[in-house]
Amino acid sequence: MQDNEILVIENVDFRYRERKTLSHISFSVRKGEICGLLGPNGSGKTTLLKCINGILSIDAGRIVVQNRDVRGLSREEIAKLIAMVPQELNVVFSFTVIEMVLMAGSVRYGISGIAKKDDYARAREILEELHIEHLAERRYNELSGGEKQMVLIARALFQKAGILLLDEPTSHLDFKRQYVIMELIRKITRQKNLTTVMTLHDPNTAGRYCDRLVMLNDGRICYQGLRDSVFHVESLESIYGMRINMGHTDTGAEYVLPAYEQ
Amino acid sequence: MRRNGPFVIIVVLLVLSVIFALTTGQYHIRLATLWKLLSLRLTGHALGDDLSVPAMVLWSVRMPRVLMAVIAGAALAVGGVVFQGIMRNPLVSPSFLGVTHGAVFGASIAIVFFSKSALSIETSAFFWAIAAVVLVYVIGDRGINSITTLVIAGVIVSTVFMAAGSFLKYIADPYEQLPAITFWTMGGLNNVLWNNVIRALVIISIGITGIWIFRGKLNLMALGDEEALSMGVNVRSARVLFMLFGTLIVAAGSSSCGIIMWVDLIVAHISRLIVGPDHARLVPFACVLGGVFLLLTDTIVRNMPNGEIPISIVTSFIGAPLLGYLLMKQTRQWKE
Repeated sequence: MQDNEILVIENVDFRYRERKTLSHISFSVRKGEICGLLGPNGSGKTTLLKCINGILSIDAGRIVVQNRDVRGLSREEIAKLIAMVPQELNVVFSFTVIEMVLMAGSVRYGISGIAKKDDYARAREILEELHIEHLAERRYNELSGGEKQMVLIARALFQKAGILLLDEPTSHLDFKRQYVIMELIRKITRQKNLTTVMTLHDPNTAGRYCDRLVMLNDGRICYQGLRDSVFHVESLESIYGMRINMGHTDTGAEYVLPAYEQ
Repeated sequence: MRRNGPFVIIVVLLVLSVIFALTTGQYHIRLATLWKLLSLRLTGHALGDDLSVPAMVLWSVRMPRVLMAVIAGAALAVGGVVFQGIMRNPLVSPSFLGVTHGAVFGASIAIVFFSKSALSIETSAFFWAIAAVVLVYVIGDRGINSITTLVIAGVIVSTVFMAAGSFLKYIADPYEQLPAITFWTMGGLNNVLWNNVIRALVIISIGITGIWIFRGKLNLMALGDEEALSMGVNVRSARVLFMLFGTLIVAAGSSSCGIIMWVDLIVAHISRLIVGPDHARLVPFACVLGGVFLLLTDTIVRNMPNGEIPISIVTSFIGAPLLGYLLMKQTRQWKE
Protein backbone atom coordinates (compact mmCIF):
# COMPACT_ATOMS: atom_id res chain seq x y z
CA MET A 1 0.00 0.00 0.00
CA GLN A 2 1.43 3.36 -1.03
CA ASP A 3 1.49 6.33 1.29
CA ASN A 4 -1.04 8.46 -0.55
CA GLU A 5 -3.51 5.63 -1.15
CA ILE A 6 -6.46 6.65 0.97
CA LEU A 7 -8.83 3.89 -0.12
CA VAL A 8 -7.69 0.35 -0.84
CA ILE A 9 -10.03 -2.42 -1.91
CA GLU A 10 -8.49 -5.88 -1.81
CA ASN A 11 -10.04 -8.96 -3.34
CA VAL A 12 -13.57 -8.10 -2.25
CA ASP A 13 -16.42 -10.55 -2.78
CA PHE A 14 -20.05 -9.84 -1.98
CA ARG A 15 -23.03 -12.15 -2.33
CA TYR A 16 -26.65 -11.01 -2.35
CA ARG A 17 -28.51 -14.14 -1.20
CA GLU A 18 -27.04 -16.83 -3.50
CA ARG A 19 -25.96 -14.50 -6.27
CA LYS A 20 -22.37 -13.32 -6.31
CA THR A 21 -22.71 -9.59 -6.96
CA LEU A 22 -19.05 -8.62 -6.60
CA SER A 23 -16.14 -10.90 -7.34
CA HIS A 24 -12.43 -10.35 -6.64
CA ILE A 25 -12.65 -6.57 -6.68
CA SER A 26 -9.28 -4.90 -6.10
CA PHE A 27 -8.27 -1.31 -6.73
CA SER A 28 -7.04 1.71 -4.84
CA VAL A 29 -7.67 5.44 -4.91
CA ARG A 30 -5.19 8.15 -4.00
CA LYS A 31 -5.89 11.26 -1.96
CA GLY A 32 -7.36 14.07 -4.06
CA GLU A 33 -8.43 11.83 -6.93
CA ILE A 34 -11.83 11.52 -8.53
CA CYS A 35 -12.48 7.85 -9.24
CA GLY A 36 -15.36 6.84 -11.49
CA LEU A 37 -17.06 3.45 -11.35
CA LEU A 38 -18.38 2.75 -14.82
CA GLY A 39 -20.44 -0.15 -16.09
CA PRO A 40 -23.86 -1.23 -17.31
CA ASN A 41 -26.92 -1.62 -15.04
CA GLY A 42 -26.50 -4.47 -12.58
CA SER A 43 -22.72 -4.52 -12.86
CA GLY A 44 -22.32 -3.94 -9.10
CA LYS A 45 -21.38 -0.25 -8.97
CA THR A 46 -23.85 0.81 -6.29
CA THR A 47 -23.27 -2.39 -4.32
CA LEU A 48 -19.56 -1.62 -4.30
CA LEU A 49 -20.20 1.91 -2.95
CA LYS A 50 -22.39 0.47 -0.17
CA CYS A 51 -19.66 -2.06 0.68
CA ILE A 52 -17.07 0.73 0.89
CA ASN A 53 -19.38 2.64 3.24
CA GLY A 54 -19.97 -0.49 5.35
CA ILE A 55 -23.72 -0.47 4.70
CA LEU A 56 -23.30 -3.93 3.17
CA SER A 57 -20.94 -6.43 4.78
CA ILE A 58 -18.47 -8.01 2.38
CA ASP A 59 -18.04 -11.79 2.30
CA ALA A 60 -14.33 -11.85 1.54
CA GLY A 61 -11.39 -9.50 1.12
CA ARG A 62 -10.98 -6.18 2.88
CA ILE A 63 -11.63 -2.49 2.43
CA VAL A 64 -9.07 -0.18 3.98
CA VAL A 65 -9.81 3.51 4.52
CA GLN A 66 -6.94 5.66 5.74
CA ASN A 67 -5.09 2.52 6.86
CA ARG A 68 -8.08 1.21 8.83
CA ASP A 69 -10.14 -1.84 7.91
CA VAL A 70 -13.77 -0.75 7.55
CA ARG A 71 -15.00 -3.95 9.25
CA GLY A 72 -13.23 -2.98 12.45
CA LEU A 73 -14.80 0.47 12.60
CA SER A 74 -17.98 1.57 14.36
CA ARG A 75 -20.68 3.38 12.39
CA GLU A 76 -19.61 6.68 13.96
CA GLU A 77 -15.99 6.14 12.94
CA ILE A 78 -17.02 5.31 9.37
CA ALA A 79 -19.20 8.43 9.22
CA LYS A 80 -16.20 10.55 10.21
CA LEU A 81 -14.18 9.10 7.31
CA ILE A 82 -16.76 8.60 4.56
CA ALA A 83 -19.76 10.66 3.44
CA MET A 84 -22.28 9.29 0.99
CA VAL A 85 -24.54 11.07 -1.48
CA PRO A 86 -27.34 8.72 -2.56
CA GLN A 87 -28.68 8.63 -6.08
CA GLU A 88 -32.01 9.98 -4.92
CA LEU A 89 -33.41 10.70 -1.48
CA ASN A 90 -37.11 11.04 -0.89
CA VAL A 91 -37.97 11.65 2.72
CA VAL A 92 -41.38 11.03 4.28
CA PHE A 93 -41.15 13.86 6.80
CA SER A 94 -40.44 17.18 5.21
CA PHE A 95 -37.39 18.56 7.01
CA THR A 96 -36.06 21.97 6.01
CA VAL A 97 -32.83 22.19 4.04
CA ILE A 98 -30.89 23.57 7.00
CA GLU A 99 -32.18 20.74 9.20
CA MET A 100 -31.12 18.18 6.57
CA VAL A 101 -27.61 19.63 6.38
CA LEU A 102 -27.24 19.88 10.16
CA MET A 103 -28.17 16.24 10.63
CA ALA A 104 -25.01 15.22 8.77
CA GLY A 105 -22.88 16.55 11.61
CA SER A 106 -24.62 14.48 14.29
CA VAL A 107 -21.53 12.33 14.96
CA ARG A 108 -19.84 15.47 16.27
CA TYR A 109 -22.71 16.64 18.47
CA GLY A 110 -22.43 14.10 21.28
CA ILE A 111 -25.12 11.79 22.61
CA SER A 112 -28.15 13.97 21.82
CA GLY A 113 -27.14 14.36 18.18
CA ILE A 114 -28.47 17.93 18.24
CA ALA A 115 -26.59 20.82 16.61
CA LYS A 116 -25.29 23.81 18.53
CA LYS A 117 -25.32 27.46 17.53
CA ASP A 118 -21.90 27.31 15.84
CA ASP A 119 -23.03 24.39 13.73
CA TYR A 120 -25.88 26.47 12.31
CA ALA A 121 -23.40 29.12 11.22
CA ARG A 122 -21.13 26.52 9.60
CA ALA A 123 -24.04 24.86 7.81
CA ARG A 124 -25.09 28.22 6.40
CA GLU A 125 -21.51 28.85 5.25
CA ILE A 126 -21.58 25.62 3.25
CA LEU A 127 -24.92 26.54 1.70
CA GLU A 128 -23.43 29.91 0.73
CA GLU A 129 -20.39 28.19 -0.72
CA LEU A 130 -22.65 26.14 -2.99
CA HIS A 131 -24.83 29.25 -3.71
CA ILE A 132 -27.96 27.65 -2.27
CA GLU A 133 -28.28 29.72 0.92
CA HIS A 134 -31.69 30.93 -0.31
CA LEU A 135 -32.96 27.35 0.10
CA ALA A 136 -32.07 27.11 3.81
CA GLU A 137 -35.61 27.38 5.20
CA ARG A 138 -37.33 25.63 2.29
CA ARG A 139 -38.76 22.12 2.78
CA TYR A 140 -36.47 19.55 1.18
CA ASN A 141 -39.44 17.71 -0.38
CA GLU A 142 -40.49 20.83 -2.27
CA LEU A 143 -37.17 21.22 -4.11
CA SER A 144 -36.42 20.30 -7.72
CA GLY A 145 -34.17 17.32 -8.51
CA GLY A 146 -31.14 19.55 -9.09
CA GLU A 147 -31.70 21.52 -5.88
CA LYS A 148 -32.07 18.28 -3.92
CA GLN A 149 -28.78 17.03 -5.33
CA MET A 150 -27.06 20.27 -4.29
CA VAL A 151 -28.47 19.91 -0.78
CA LEU A 152 -27.25 16.31 -0.55
CA ILE A 153 -23.77 17.43 -1.61
CA ALA A 154 -23.87 20.26 0.95
CA ARG A 155 -24.87 17.71 3.56
CA ALA A 156 -21.97 15.42 2.62
CA LEU A 157 -19.55 18.36 2.88
CA PHE A 158 -20.94 19.27 6.30
CA GLN A 159 -20.19 15.72 7.43
CA LYS A 160 -16.52 16.72 7.07
CA ALA A 161 -15.34 13.29 5.88
CA GLY A 162 -12.26 12.93 3.69
CA ILE A 163 -13.88 10.52 1.26
CA LEU A 164 -16.98 11.37 -0.73
CA LEU A 165 -19.03 8.58 -2.29
CA LEU A 166 -21.61 9.62 -4.88
CA ASP A 167 -24.12 7.26 -6.43
CA GLU A 168 -25.11 8.44 -9.91
CA PRO A 169 -24.97 12.13 -8.95
CA THR A 170 -26.44 13.29 -12.28
CA SER A 171 -28.92 10.54 -13.09
CA HIS A 172 -32.12 12.59 -12.63
CA LEU A 173 -30.81 15.91 -13.85
CA ASP A 174 -31.25 17.87 -17.05
CA PHE A 175 -28.33 18.63 -19.36
CA LYS A 176 -27.35 21.90 -17.72
CA ARG A 177 -27.76 20.64 -14.17
CA GLN A 178 -25.55 17.63 -14.98
CA TYR A 179 -22.81 20.03 -16.00
CA VAL A 180 -23.29 22.28 -12.96
CA ILE A 181 -23.20 19.38 -10.50
CA MET A 182 -20.16 17.71 -12.06
CA GLU A 183 -18.22 21.01 -12.15
CA LEU A 184 -19.12 21.49 -8.50
CA ILE A 185 -17.93 17.99 -7.57
CA ARG A 186 -14.63 18.60 -9.32
CA LYS A 187 -14.22 22.00 -7.68
CA ILE A 188 -14.90 20.83 -4.12
CA THR A 189 -12.72 17.74 -4.55
CA ARG A 190 -9.78 19.91 -5.60
CA GLN A 191 -10.39 22.80 -3.18
CA LYS A 192 -10.95 20.67 -0.10
CA ASN A 193 -8.47 17.97 -1.11
CA LEU A 194 -11.14 15.30 -0.85
CA THR A 195 -11.14 11.88 -2.45
CA THR A 196 -14.23 11.23 -4.53
CA VAL A 197 -15.56 7.91 -5.73
CA MET A 198 -18.70 7.97 -7.85
CA THR A 199 -20.76 5.66 -9.96
CA LEU A 200 -21.64 7.01 -13.38
CA HIS A 201 -23.82 5.91 -16.27
CA ASP A 202 -22.47 8.29 -18.86
CA PRO A 203 -18.98 7.41 -20.14
CA ASN A 204 -18.54 10.96 -21.44
CA THR A 205 -19.04 12.40 -17.94
CA ALA A 206 -16.64 9.80 -16.57
CA GLY A 207 -14.08 10.57 -19.26
CA ARG A 208 -14.32 14.29 -18.67
CA TYR A 209 -14.26 14.47 -14.87
CA CYS A 210 -12.52 11.37 -13.49
CA ASP A 211 -8.80 10.95 -12.81
CA ARG A 212 -9.17 7.22 -12.40
CA LEU A 213 -11.67 4.75 -13.80
CA VAL A 214 -12.81 1.34 -12.66
CA MET A 215 -14.90 -0.44 -15.29
CA LEU A 216 -17.16 -3.19 -14.05
CA ASN A 217 -19.23 -5.82 -15.73
CA ASP A 218 -21.19 -8.58 -14.04
CA GLY A 219 -19.57 -7.90 -10.67
CA ARG A 220 -15.99 -8.09 -11.93
CA ILE A 221 -13.45 -5.43 -12.81
CA CYS A 222 -12.74 -5.51 -16.55
CA TYR A 223 -10.47 -2.46 -16.78
CA GLN A 224 -9.00 -0.09 -14.26
CA GLY A 225 -6.35 2.57 -14.07
CA LEU A 226 -5.76 6.24 -14.72
CA ARG A 227 -8.31 7.77 -17.04
CA ASP A 228 -6.06 8.02 -20.10
CA SER A 229 -4.93 4.42 -19.89
CA VAL A 230 -8.41 2.87 -19.83
CA PHE A 231 -10.77 5.32 -21.53
CA HIS A 232 -10.72 3.89 -25.02
CA VAL A 233 -13.13 2.37 -27.49
CA GLU A 234 -12.15 -1.26 -26.82
CA SER A 235 -12.70 -1.06 -23.05
CA LEU A 236 -16.07 0.72 -23.43
CA GLU A 237 -17.26 -1.66 -26.15
CA SER A 238 -16.26 -4.57 -23.96
CA ILE A 239 -18.16 -3.51 -20.82
CA TYR A 240 -21.28 -2.20 -22.58
CA GLY A 241 -21.36 -4.95 -25.24
CA MET A 242 -21.99 -2.55 -28.14
CA ARG A 243 -20.15 -0.79 -30.93
CA ILE A 244 -18.88 2.63 -29.94
CA ASN A 245 -17.30 5.47 -31.91
CA MET A 246 -14.91 7.94 -30.34
CA GLY A 247 -14.51 11.50 -31.59
CA HIS A 248 -12.77 14.69 -30.55
CA THR A 249 -14.20 18.14 -29.88
CA ASP A 250 -12.65 21.34 -31.21
CA THR A 251 -10.66 21.61 -28.01
CA GLY A 252 -9.34 18.07 -28.39
CA ALA A 253 -11.46 16.47 -25.68
CA GLU A 254 -12.58 12.93 -26.40
CA TYR A 255 -16.24 11.93 -26.56
CA VAL A 256 -17.96 8.68 -27.34
CA LEU A 257 -21.20 7.87 -29.14
CA PRO A 258 -22.95 4.61 -29.95
CA ALA A 259 -22.04 3.45 -33.47
CA TYR A 260 -25.48 3.73 -35.10
CA GLU A 261 -26.28 1.25 -37.86
CA GLN A 262 -26.96 3.08 -41.15
CA MET B 1 -40.90 34.43 19.26
CA ARG B 2 -42.42 33.10 16.02
CA ARG B 3 -40.46 29.87 16.41
CA ASN B 4 -41.36 29.46 20.08
CA GLY B 5 -44.93 30.72 19.69
CA PRO B 6 -46.54 27.25 19.45
CA PHE B 7 -44.75 26.15 22.64
CA VAL B 8 -45.92 29.19 24.62
CA ILE B 9 -49.49 28.71 23.41
CA ILE B 10 -49.59 24.99 24.19
CA VAL B 11 -48.13 25.43 27.69
CA VAL B 12 -50.69 28.17 28.45
CA LEU B 13 -53.39 25.87 27.08
CA LEU B 14 -52.17 23.08 29.37
CA VAL B 15 -52.34 25.30 32.45
CA LEU B 16 -55.84 26.53 31.54
CA SER B 17 -57.00 22.97 30.79
CA VAL B 18 -55.73 21.73 34.15
CA ILE B 19 -57.53 24.55 35.99
CA PHE B 20 -60.70 23.92 33.99
CA ALA B 21 -60.55 20.15 34.62
CA LEU B 22 -59.89 20.57 38.35
CA THR B 23 -62.82 22.91 38.86
CA THR B 24 -65.35 21.22 36.57
CA GLY B 25 -67.36 18.12 37.36
CA GLN B 26 -70.41 16.83 39.18
CA TYR B 27 -69.10 18.62 42.26
CA HIS B 28 -68.10 22.11 41.13
CA ILE B 29 -65.06 23.61 42.81
CA ARG B 30 -64.88 27.38 42.54
CA LEU B 31 -61.66 28.95 41.33
CA ALA B 32 -61.12 30.75 44.64
CA THR B 33 -61.62 27.48 46.54
CA LEU B 34 -59.14 25.72 44.27
CA TRP B 35 -56.59 28.44 44.89
CA LYS B 36 -57.18 28.24 48.65
CA LEU B 37 -56.86 24.44 48.70
CA LEU B 38 -53.61 24.55 46.70
CA SER B 39 -52.17 27.29 48.94
CA LEU B 40 -53.09 25.41 52.11
CA ARG B 41 -51.48 22.22 50.80
CA LEU B 42 -48.30 24.08 49.81
CA THR B 43 -48.00 25.97 53.09
CA GLY B 44 -49.01 22.96 55.21
CA HIS B 45 -51.82 24.77 57.05
CA ALA B 46 -54.85 22.91 58.39
CA LEU B 47 -58.16 22.93 56.49
CA GLY B 48 -61.31 24.47 57.88
CA ASP B 49 -64.48 22.31 58.09
CA ASP B 50 -66.04 24.20 55.19
CA LEU B 51 -63.24 22.95 52.91
CA SER B 52 -63.28 19.27 53.84
CA VAL B 53 -65.61 18.17 51.02
CA PRO B 54 -63.92 20.10 48.17
CA ALA B 55 -60.53 19.03 49.55
CA MET B 56 -61.59 15.39 49.48
CA VAL B 57 -62.93 15.74 45.89
CA LEU B 58 -59.81 17.57 44.75
CA TRP B 59 -57.06 15.47 46.35
CA SER B 60 -58.63 12.01 46.30
CA VAL B 61 -60.56 12.04 43.03
CA ARG B 62 -59.94 14.89 40.67
CA MET B 63 -56.23 15.64 41.02
CA PRO B 64 -55.01 12.03 40.40
CA ARG B 65 -57.38 11.74 37.46
CA VAL B 66 -56.28 15.03 35.93
CA LEU B 67 -52.60 14.21 36.39
CA MET B 68 -53.11 10.74 34.94
CA ALA B 69 -54.85 12.18 31.88
CA VAL B 70 -51.94 14.55 31.28
CA ILE B 71 -49.29 11.86 31.85
CA ALA B 72 -51.05 9.17 29.78
CA GLY B 73 -51.84 11.64 26.98
CA ALA B 74 -48.20 12.71 26.88
CA ALA B 75 -47.05 9.08 26.82
CA LEU B 76 -49.40 8.04 24.02
CA ALA B 77 -48.52 11.09 21.91
CA VAL B 78 -44.76 10.69 22.30
CA GLY B 79 -45.18 6.95 21.64
CA GLY B 80 -46.94 7.85 18.38
CA VAL B 81 -44.15 10.26 17.43
CA VAL B 82 -41.46 7.65 18.11
CA PHE B 83 -43.14 4.81 16.24
CA GLN B 84 -44.02 7.06 13.29
CA GLY B 85 -40.39 8.25 13.23
CA ILE B 86 -38.70 4.87 13.28
CA MET B 87 -41.27 3.37 10.89
CA ARG B 88 -41.10 6.46 8.66
CA ASN B 89 -44.84 6.58 8.31
CA PRO B 90 -47.14 9.32 9.66
CA LEU B 91 -50.06 6.88 9.81
CA VAL B 92 -48.39 4.36 12.08
CA SER B 93 -49.32 4.04 15.73
CA PRO B 94 -47.86 1.80 18.44
CA SER B 95 -50.77 -0.60 17.93
CA PHE B 96 -49.18 -1.54 14.59
CA LEU B 97 -46.51 -3.36 16.55
CA GLY B 98 -48.88 -5.25 18.81
CA VAL B 99 -48.85 -3.00 21.90
CA THR B 100 -52.63 -2.59 22.03
CA HIS B 101 -53.64 -6.23 21.48
CA GLY B 102 -50.88 -7.38 23.84
CA ALA B 103 -52.25 -5.07 26.55
CA VAL B 104 -55.86 -6.18 25.96
CA PHE B 105 -54.79 -9.83 26.20
CA GLY B 106 -52.85 -9.12 29.40
CA ALA B 107 -55.77 -7.27 31.01
CA SER B 108 -58.17 -10.06 29.96
CA ILE B 109 -55.96 -12.74 31.54
CA ALA B 110 -55.91 -10.78 34.80
CA ILE B 111 -59.69 -10.26 34.75
CA VAL B 112 -60.52 -13.90 33.90
CA PHE B 113 -57.89 -15.82 35.90
CA PHE B 114 -56.53 -13.57 38.60
CA SER B 115 -57.74 -11.23 41.28
CA LYS B 116 -59.27 -8.63 38.93
CA SER B 117 -57.66 -5.99 41.11
CA ALA B 118 -56.52 -2.80 39.38
CA LEU B 119 -52.90 -3.64 40.15
CA SER B 120 -53.04 -7.12 38.62
CA ILE B 121 -54.81 -5.82 35.49
CA GLU B 122 -52.32 -2.98 35.13
CA THR B 123 -49.28 -5.21 35.65
CA SER B 124 -50.49 -7.95 33.33
CA ALA B 125 -51.46 -5.47 30.58
CA PHE B 126 -48.08 -3.75 30.87
CA PHE B 127 -46.02 -6.94 30.58
CA TRP B 128 -48.07 -8.50 27.79
CA ALA B 129 -47.88 -5.26 25.78
CA ILE B 130 -44.10 -5.38 26.04
CA ALA B 131 -44.05 -9.12 25.29
CA ALA B 132 -46.06 -8.52 22.10
CA VAL B 133 -43.54 -5.96 20.82
CA VAL B 134 -40.58 -8.19 21.73
CA LEU B 135 -42.23 -10.98 19.75
CA VAL B 136 -42.78 -8.65 16.79
CA TYR B 137 -39.12 -7.68 16.88
CA VAL B 138 -37.92 -11.30 17.09
CA ILE B 139 -40.09 -12.29 14.10
CA GLY B 140 -39.68 -9.14 11.98
CA ASP B 141 -36.10 -7.97 12.45
CA ARG B 142 -33.81 -8.67 9.54
CA GLY B 143 -31.15 -6.02 10.01
CA ILE B 144 -31.45 -2.83 8.01
CA ASN B 145 -34.54 -2.06 5.93
CA SER B 146 -36.77 -4.09 8.27
CA ILE B 147 -39.76 -1.74 8.30
CA THR B 148 -42.00 -3.87 6.09
CA THR B 149 -41.17 -7.12 7.87
CA LEU B 150 -41.74 -5.49 11.26
CA VAL B 151 -45.17 -4.25 10.17
CA ILE B 152 -46.06 -7.72 8.85
CA ALA B 153 -44.82 -9.28 12.10
CA GLY B 154 -46.96 -6.69 13.95
CA VAL B 155 -50.05 -7.79 12.02
CA ILE B 156 -49.27 -11.48 12.76
CA VAL B 157 -48.67 -10.96 16.48
CA SER B 158 -51.68 -8.63 16.84
CA THR B 159 -53.91 -11.20 15.14
CA VAL B 160 -52.74 -13.98 17.46
CA PHE B 161 -53.25 -11.81 20.55
CA MET B 162 -56.63 -10.67 19.24
CA ALA B 163 -57.70 -14.29 18.78
CA ALA B 164 -56.44 -15.20 22.25
CA GLY B 165 -58.25 -12.16 23.67
CA SER B 166 -61.48 -13.19 21.92
CA PHE B 167 -61.13 -16.69 23.37
CA LEU B 168 -60.78 -15.22 26.85
CA LYS B 169 -63.92 -13.14 26.27
CA TYR B 170 -65.72 -16.28 25.10
CA ILE B 171 -64.89 -18.19 28.28
CA ALA B 172 -65.33 -15.18 30.58
CA ASP B 173 -68.22 -14.97 33.02
CA PRO B 174 -70.80 -12.90 31.06
CA TYR B 175 -72.08 -11.03 34.13
CA GLU B 176 -68.85 -9.76 35.67
CA GLN B 177 -65.74 -10.61 33.68
CA LEU B 178 -66.99 -9.90 30.14
CA PRO B 179 -68.27 -6.38 30.92
CA ALA B 180 -65.01 -5.69 32.79
CA ILE B 181 -62.95 -6.68 29.72
CA THR B 182 -65.20 -4.70 27.39
CA PHE B 183 -65.03 -1.54 29.50
CA TRP B 184 -61.26 -1.86 29.89
CA THR B 185 -60.82 -2.03 26.10
CA MET B 186 -62.79 1.21 25.72
CA GLY B 187 -60.54 3.06 28.12
CA GLY B 188 -61.31 5.24 31.08
CA LEU B 189 -59.71 7.16 33.90
CA ASN B 190 -62.51 6.73 36.42
CA ASN B 191 -60.63 4.29 38.64
CA VAL B 192 -57.35 6.15 38.81
CA LEU B 193 -55.69 6.38 42.22
CA TRP B 194 -52.53 8.10 43.37
CA ASN B 195 -50.64 4.77 43.22
CA ASN B 196 -51.46 4.45 39.50
CA VAL B 197 -50.31 8.01 38.90
CA ILE B 198 -46.99 7.51 40.66
CA ARG B 199 -46.26 4.19 38.90
CA ALA B 200 -47.13 5.63 35.48
CA LEU B 201 -45.23 8.85 36.18
CA VAL B 202 -42.02 6.98 37.04
CA ILE B 203 -42.09 4.66 34.01
CA ILE B 204 -43.25 7.33 31.53
CA SER B 205 -40.67 9.84 32.79
CA ILE B 206 -37.89 7.30 32.25
CA GLY B 207 -39.17 6.49 28.74
CA ILE B 208 -39.68 10.08 27.60
CA THR B 209 -36.31 11.15 29.06
CA GLY B 210 -34.63 8.33 27.12
CA ILE B 211 -36.31 9.41 23.91
CA TRP B 212 -35.42 13.05 24.58
CA ILE B 213 -31.74 12.19 25.14
CA PHE B 214 -31.47 10.46 21.77
CA ARG B 215 -33.79 12.80 19.84
CA GLY B 216 -31.15 13.64 17.21
CA LYS B 217 -30.79 9.99 16.29
CA LEU B 218 -34.55 9.78 15.87
CA ASN B 219 -34.26 12.46 13.16
CA LEU B 220 -31.71 10.36 11.29
CA MET B 221 -33.83 7.20 11.69
CA ALA B 222 -36.73 9.10 10.13
CA LEU B 223 -34.67 9.64 6.97
CA GLY B 224 -34.16 5.92 6.31
CA ASP B 225 -31.95 3.09 7.48
CA GLU B 226 -29.18 3.59 4.93
CA GLU B 227 -29.14 7.33 5.52
CA ALA B 228 -28.92 6.81 9.27
CA LEU B 229 -26.10 4.28 8.83
CA SER B 230 -24.19 6.65 6.55
CA MET B 231 -24.40 9.37 9.18
CA GLY B 232 -23.08 7.24 11.99
CA VAL B 233 -26.14 5.61 13.58
CA ASN B 234 -26.07 1.95 14.51
CA VAL B 235 -29.56 1.41 13.12
CA ARG B 236 -30.33 -1.92 14.80
CA SER B 237 -29.37 -0.72 18.27
CA ALA B 238 -31.16 2.59 17.78
CA ARG B 239 -34.33 0.84 16.61
CA VAL B 240 -34.30 -1.48 19.62
CA LEU B 241 -33.72 1.48 21.92
CA PHE B 242 -36.59 3.55 20.51
CA MET B 243 -38.94 0.57 20.38
CA LEU B 244 -38.08 -0.17 24.00
CA PHE B 245 -38.70 3.39 25.23
CA GLY B 246 -41.77 3.81 22.99
CA THR B 247 -43.31 0.54 24.13
CA LEU B 248 -42.50 1.28 27.75
CA ILE B 249 -44.40 4.58 27.79
CA VAL B 250 -47.35 3.40 25.70
CA ALA B 251 -47.68 0.21 27.78
CA ALA B 252 -47.53 2.25 30.99
CA GLY B 253 -50.20 4.66 29.68
CA SER B 254 -52.48 1.92 28.33
CA SER B 255 -52.17 -0.36 31.34
CA SER B 256 -53.30 2.44 33.67
CA CYS B 257 -56.21 3.74 31.60
CA GLY B 258 -57.22 0.91 29.29
CA ILE B 259 -57.09 1.26 25.52
CA ILE B 260 -57.43 4.86 24.44
CA MET B 261 -57.69 5.04 20.67
CA TRP B 262 -56.36 7.69 18.30
CA VAL B 263 -54.42 9.90 20.74
CA ASP B 264 -51.04 8.50 19.61
CA LEU B 265 -51.75 8.81 15.92
CA ILE B 266 -53.64 12.08 15.77
CA VAL B 267 -51.57 14.10 18.25
CA ALA B 268 -48.28 13.06 16.63
CA HIS B 269 -49.66 14.02 13.23
CA ILE B 270 -51.05 17.40 14.32
CA SER B 271 -47.85 18.21 16.23
CA ARG B 272 -45.77 17.53 13.13
CA LEU B 273 -48.00 19.87 11.11
CA ILE B 274 -47.52 22.64 13.69
CA VAL B 275 -43.82 22.44 14.65
CA GLY B 276 -42.36 20.36 11.80
CA PRO B 277 -40.63 16.98 11.82
CA ASP B 278 -37.49 17.91 13.82
CA HIS B 279 -37.76 15.69 16.91
CA ALA B 280 -36.00 18.25 19.10
CA ARG B 281 -39.19 20.33 18.77
CA LEU B 282 -41.66 17.59 17.96
CA VAL B 283 -41.16 15.42 21.08
CA PRO B 284 -41.77 18.19 23.67
CA PHE B 285 -44.64 19.71 21.70
CA ALA B 286 -46.43 16.38 21.21
CA CYS B 287 -45.83 15.59 24.88
CA VAL B 288 -47.75 18.69 26.02
CA LEU B 289 -50.39 18.54 23.27
CA GLY B 290 -51.06 14.87 24.10
CA GLY B 291 -51.62 15.84 27.73
CA VAL B 292 -53.99 18.67 26.78
CA PHE B 293 -55.91 16.50 24.29
CA LEU B 294 -56.52 13.62 26.69
CA LEU B 295 -57.29 15.92 29.62
CA LEU B 296 -59.92 17.87 27.68
CA THR B 297 -61.40 14.66 26.27
CA ASP B 298 -61.58 13.15 29.75
CA THR B 299 -63.22 16.32 31.07
CA ILE B 300 -65.88 16.05 28.34
CA VAL B 301 -66.35 12.34 29.10
CA ARG B 302 -66.97 12.80 32.81
CA ASN B 303 -69.29 15.76 32.30
CA MET B 304 -71.68 14.05 29.88
CA PRO B 305 -75.31 14.83 30.85
CA ASN B 306 -76.27 11.15 31.16
CA GLY B 307 -73.15 10.08 33.04
CA GLU B 308 -69.63 9.12 32.11
CA ILE B 309 -68.93 7.17 28.91
CA PRO B 310 -65.75 5.26 27.89
CA ILE B 311 -63.11 7.71 26.69
CA SER B 312 -62.19 5.89 23.45
CA ILE B 313 -65.66 6.64 22.08
CA VAL B 314 -64.96 10.37 22.30
CA THR B 315 -61.28 10.21 21.20
CA SER B 316 -62.39 8.20 18.15
CA PHE B 317 -65.24 10.63 17.35
CA ILE B 318 -62.81 13.56 17.55
CA GLY B 319 -59.71 11.84 16.17
CA ALA B 320 -60.99 10.11 13.04
CA PRO B 321 -62.87 13.12 11.53
CA LEU B 322 -59.96 15.40 12.45
CA LEU B 323 -57.51 13.17 10.59
CA GLY B 324 -59.93 13.02 7.66
CA TYR B 325 -60.10 16.82 7.60
CA LEU B 326 -56.31 17.15 7.72
CA LEU B 327 -55.96 14.58 4.94
CA MET B 328 -58.46 16.44 2.74
CA LYS B 329 -56.70 19.73 3.43
CA GLN B 330 -53.33 18.22 2.53
CA THR B 331 -54.70 16.60 -0.63
CA ARG B 332 -56.19 19.95 -1.67
CA GLN B 333 -52.80 21.62 -1.18
CA TRP B 334 -51.13 18.98 -3.37
CA LYS B 335 -53.71 19.56 -6.12
CA GLU B 336 -53.06 23.30 -6.01
